[in-house]
Amino acid sequence: MKKKLVSLLLAGVMVLSMAACGGKDGKSVSKGSDELVDGKFKETKKITVEIYDRGNDGGSDPENNKFTEYIKKGMLEDHNVEVTFKKVPRWTEVDDINNLLAAKEAPDICVTYSYPTIQTYAQMGGVIDLSTYVTEYKDELPNLWNWLTETNINWDKDPQDGTLWAIEAKLAVSNRVLTFVRQDWLDKLGMKAPTTKAEFEAMLVAFRDNAETLLGADADKMIPYSVSYDVGWRAATLIESFLDPKMSDKEYYINGFDDRKVTQNGTKEAIRLLNKWYNMGLMWKDFALYGSGDTTEDSMMKAGYVGAFTHNWDYPYRNGEDSINANLKREVGENAKFVAIDCFEDKNGGYTKFVSGPIDRKIFFPTTNDEPLASMLYLDWISDPEHIQYLQIGDEGINHTVTADGAIAIQAATGNDIQNSGMNIDYTITCNGLKLVSDELTNKSRALNYPGIDPEDVVKAHTIANTDLRVGKNVNVGAIEAEQGVGDTLSAKRDQLYDNAVVASVADFDKVWDEYMKDYMSAGGEAIKAEREQKWKQFFGDSDTLK
Amino acid sequence: MKKNKVAKTRMTPRAYMKRYWQLYALLALPMLYLIIFKYAPMIYVQVAFKKYSIVQSVWEMPWAKNHGFEYFIKAFSNNDFRYALRNTLTLNLLDLIIGFPAPIIFALIINELCFKKFKRVIQTIAYMPHFLSWVIIASLALQLFAPNAGLVNMIIKDLGGEAIPFLNEEKHWVGTYIGFGVWQNFGWGSIVYLAAIAGINPELYEAASVDGAGRFRKMWHVTLPGIKPTIVVLLIMNLGNILGSSFDRPFAFQNPLVMKVADVISTYVYRVGIRGLQFSLTTAVGLFQSVVGVFFLLMANWISRRLGERGIW
Repeated sequence: MKKKLVSLLLAGVMVLSMAACGGKDGKSVSKGSDELVDGKFKETKKITVEIYDRGNDGGSDPENNKFTEYIKKGMLEDHNVEVTFKKVPRWTEVDDINNLLAAKEAPDICVTYSYPTIQTYAQMGGVIDLSTYVTEYKDELPNLWNWLTETNINWDKDPQDGTLWAIEAKLAVSNRVLTFVRQDWLDKLGMKAPTTKAEFEAMLVAFRDNAETLLGADADKMIPYSVSYDVGWRAATLIESFLDPKMSDKEYYINGFDDRKVTQNGTKEAIRLLNKWYNMGLMWKDFALYGSGDTTEDSMMKAGYVGAFTHNWDYPYRNGEDSINANLKREVGENAKFVAIDCFEDKNGGYTKFVSGPIDRKIFFPTTNDEPLASMLYLDWISDPEHIQYLQIGDEGINHTVTADGAIAIQAATGNDIQNSGMNIDYTITCNGLKLVSDELTNKSRALNYPGIDPEDVVKAHTIANTDLRVGKNVNVGAIEAEQGVGDTLSAKRDQLYDNAVVASVADFDKVWDEYMKDYMSAGGEAIKAEREQKWKQFFGDSDTLK
Repeated sequence: MKKNKVAKTRMTPRAYMKRYWQLYALLALPMLYLIIFKYAPMIYVQVAFKKYSIVQSVWEMPWAKNHGFEYFIKAFSNNDFRYALRNTLTLNLLDLIIGFPAPIIFALIINELCFKKFKRVIQTIAYMPHFLSWVIIASLALQLFAPNAGLVNMIIKDLGGEAIPFLNEEKHWVGTYIGFGVWQNFGWGSIVYLAAIAGINPELYEAASVDGAGRFRKMWHVTLPGIKPTIVVLLIMNLGNILGSSFDRPFAFQNPLVMKVADVISTYVYRVGIRGLQFSLTTAVGLFQSVVGVFFLLMANWISRRLGERGIW
């Protein structure tokens, strides 16, 4: 009896729930232009926009602060669109946006650095094709077209079926990764800034051997050279110096799936050098244990235990009062600071740095976006030079001052006026890097962009970051099927490969590298390489270079 | 069970329901919970056999290749999945071998303490780790056991020793992982056994004393047999979970240096399925995991019944 009753009940509910799940939510995406009057919607539209949350010390709420108010007010006045921000943690953004997409809760305007994520999602029918919107409404989007131009808007356009899943934001400054060293330590030891790998190594050894002199009682905390678990990024200048500067476009592309260059020819030798340094006691032993976004390493830099490191070109200068250099000044001494150096020579004696094309974050609309047109107008609004400028420099007297020659000097703000990201790059989603209304003003102001930092240090970093650049080209061959869905797996494997190779004993290095590389290649690396090779042949034939 | 049977033979179903309908009404709510949260989601198990699409309903998705078994084949030919499977088994088995007896031994020891206050203090201290989340425990582990900045290694180095790679070398990592598992769970796990011990008839101890049994004899011949049914039930439930794995514990402890031994099925599913958006593949993995779990559960239950114990049903 009991059994019968229970099974009846079960069966009943099963049928019910199956019926409930059978329904499908259909929605139309086409919106007529006639709803717009002078760029304004007749009825108020609502959109949500992704915003990175950097969790800065003393930062403001990324969803609600002075700058979001500025955007919200502007969008409502200019287009009658109500904007809500939705924060996503910056350092785990790819994971988080994936989770949001899978849960169908992603913001209407999504931003990510991972194109494969967008592509995978697009293949499932989860992303809106933007090709019609950017062309059909071109007249409504003058700022977007002016700023991003054909190059960035159609960067990811499929060469065969013309679909466009994402728009590439523009990198206003192509500066990428540099190596920094403690100037005061060099001075103390009477050394000159290194200009070659050998000199750099000698410098690290000197740091190690003179720990007592440099750190006194904290000598055992000395870390001559620091990297994080993300070795590919945090030793990028070193890795790039081992690549052939004259490598053909074809070779660079075929081995170029991983943006940390793990499969490029030459990378292994760079890591072998790191491995040697690690075993000489020149590197931070705990690097692999701290995950993305962990501040342990930053704290050590700020406390003055780190002699040299490689990171984003303006890393020690960022964040105003909380910048690494500002902390060093407070904690260690007036002349304690990191300065940029160019010390990893390539095989031709230059300092080649491989930078990407003028592309940055990728902007896309998931199909849960009911207001693609309003969202496009948002992109246009946020690309308006005036708006970019205000978001980047804020109010005079609060966020910046104007010098005698008219340059903009950023000053550290507090409370609600604070910029959570340098120059608010998280809000100017179509633009990364200083871009004021005129190029002249931009160049004049660049060095004054970092409050509390010696402008000369910034100029130096900027100059080095622009030495011997090899700018990436757009190899547009459409979607590579093998790349879909394996991005995260391969990134994780790449980090495992790098980390394990660095900490291996010198004798085991080759064994460890080959073993992990084999794993990487069999988990998808091989298939990607093959498909890239085949696509290259299909589009460019036997040519080795891109026109 | 037996009572019901007796009642059934005496009453007509109608009379039976009339008499006991309140009990069934009470049962309805938990049943509803099970149906909505445990049974209804099972509809999506078919994703394992279909090509996933974000815009189609689960009924509309096309069947996967190879008679729907494409993703099972793909999973088993995937190195990462095989590693994850192996690691899940190893870590769970180690947990079982080391972690399962720990609370029993602890309960036995606690039971022998005669100072009530001391006993309570010890018990409370032992329970506490249970209330810490794995994220916190993992950061504790980092603070204590990191090779350079970890407290324990600092002490070892100050005493002239070599830093022990608790977290950054595969074998040591496994030890650390299991150790923290035992540490977190043994106090809490002992509650059930202590309750079972409290239920043992004191006369048995008195009788044993009269027969001249010492402490260890009494433990062996009275306490342990007294809690044997509890041990068996818990063992069966643990065996059912041999392929299951919590997510937060391995995830919090993982780092790139030890992934070869640290990647388990749950973290594999998270990385490949949710982050890599391969829902079909990972649903297949999840289904496989559940099927094996059920198999182990049934087997353990069967063995326990053969050995004369009660089993869980």
